[in-house]
Amino acid sequence: MIARVIKPVSLQARRLYVEVMFQVMGRALQGISEVDEKIREETRVLPKGFLFEMMVMPAGPNLIVEHQGEGRLRFLGSSAPRKVDLSIQFKHIAHAFLVLSFQEKTATSFANDRMVVDGDLGTAIRMTRVLNRLEAFILPKLVASRAVKEYPADLGLPEKLISAAKIYLKVATTFIETARAS
Amino acid sequence: MSTNFYEFFCPVKVIAGQAALEHIPYELSGMAAKRPMIITDKGVRAAGLLEPVISACEESGLDIVSIYDDVPPDSSTQVVKAIAKVYRDEKCDSIIAIGGGSAIDTAKAVNILVSEGGDDISKYAGAGVLKRPLKPFFVVPTTAGTGSEVTSVAVIADTERSVKLAYTSSYLLPNAAIIDPRMTLTLPPHITAMTGMDAMTHATEAFTCMAKNPLSDAYASAAVKKISNNLLKVMENPKDAQGRLELAQASTMAGIAFSNSMVGLVHSLGHATGAICHLPHGLCMSLYLPYVLEYNLESIRQPLGELLLYLEGPDAYAATPVDRRAEAAISAIRKMRDALYKKCQLPRTLKETGKVTEDQLDRIAATALDDGSIMFNPKEVSLEDAKAVLRRAWA
Repeated sequence: MIARVIKPVSLQARRLYVEVMFQVMGRALQGISEVDEKIREETRVLPKGFLFEMMVMPAGPNLIVEHQGEGRLRFLGSSAPRKVDLSIQFKHIAHAFLVLSFQEKTATSFANDRMVVDGDLGTAIRMTRVLNRLEAFILPKLVASRAVKEYPADLGLPEKLISAAKIYLKVATTFIETARAS
Repeated sequence: MSTNFYEFFCPVKVIAGQAALEHIPYELSGMAAKRPMIITDKGVRAAGLLEPVISACEESGLDIVSIYDDVPPDSSTQVVKAIAKVYRDEKCDSIIAIGGGSAIDTAKAVNILVSEGGDDISKYAGAGVLKRPLKPFFVVPTTAGTGSEVTSVAVIADTERSVKLAYTSSYLLPNAAIIDPRMTLTLPPHITAMTGMDAMTHATEAFTCMAKNPLSDAYASAAVKKISNNLLKVMENPKDAQGRLELAQASTMAGIAFSNSMVGLVHSLGHATGAICHLPHGLCMSLYLPYVLEYNLESIRQPLGELLLYLEGPDAYAATPVDRRAEAAISAIRKMRDALYKKCQLPRTLKETGKVTEDQLDRIAATALDDGSIMFNPKEVSLEDAKAVLRRAWA
């Protein structure tokens, strides 16, 4: 009886966690594109107005960011104003949870065929590099090492702390702005 | 690196060995196909490789309804559309692709159009767009390297938009791959060497990259053993039918391995070099393989060390200390490349190709970084890393 009650609750909690993490990541992507030149080098080549989505199949939680030009990204929430240009899709919420709870690296998730790409594969690889750098910045080194293939050797503690603080501040600001607007 | 999860899929019936071509009529009739179309290229036709297929079918009372022999080395959406029109005009009901990677990829794309309808192949681009089986499709490879007969991918150039379109679906896999030693017996030495090293790279990367799994490992290691035992023998004696068959089987096995475990940096650099400098794919594979293995060494020491058994045999494996086996495996591959250079001047460095200039290396590195296969390389690759590997491969 208890097991029958606990299981749906734990599944709901997992879904909620993925939803919240997408919200945080979307805002953090916007934040890191404002504070890190290396990220802007990666995203600058995307066409202006390019829409990138990460989602859980078939219609689960998602995040959408738009390239606004000069490498800057803007988090659009979960609805796109037009057809997205690139979508990285987890096959199941359980697979998204593995990656977003840092139990499985993004590259491993690809290797395990848990994610599919709808759009240009080269751009998907580029966006994966962006996600990896974001994780290296905003997560403690021990956790980030589990999330990325290789923790960047050139990322020193002062740079990491200052950038992470700026990114988290921007995440918090956008959360507050969203709350005020709604 | 080892995964506790994997997927493995290969539903292709492999028909290999002596008189394998003579199985085609039976296999076609088993799928109620009576009006096959052959898709091939001029080189295959000029080499007389269509005759044994046609005669095998005619002897069983099966007429080849149409032959399209004008597939270019880099096929395009226009070519696919033109072939689909011939297929429909001639009321064909099945396809036999005879050739290397381009003919096979073209035939896969034609099969999409003639099965799904319409003239616009670009709308089927991407992964998982196809939702149902296509027309009966058979592949007869005439090179021993690409493994396209067992991969679920086709790449076709959209010349109007100047992009390459990738099609991925398990429905692209042929119903059968027919591997007959007669089809590779006349391959010129440098093509034999390049395609052999292409298959060797497929197997080696499948065995050492991130999505390796027990089933792909079995195919990859067996392929490495067959190539090691037969490539130089066939270079010495090109009419060695048994050796040719072993290489052709190795290519198919390596294809099964890498289509289930993917490939890594050798392919990323190879695709970029092919696109920028127009070097043949197999040559790029042979060229980059040892340098990338050296780059990845500390991430792949254990599986690469295991490959020594298949590269050099049990005596050399047993005589080599465990902590030196990975380096010995790289040396074995270098030795093989040196022997191929001696036999047919297969270049071992970018400089030796005479078709790459030093100022192209940065562009190759930048292009390689966005290649899909880089995701599966066991070691993270930065732009500087890619440039460093290229500098080592230069001369």
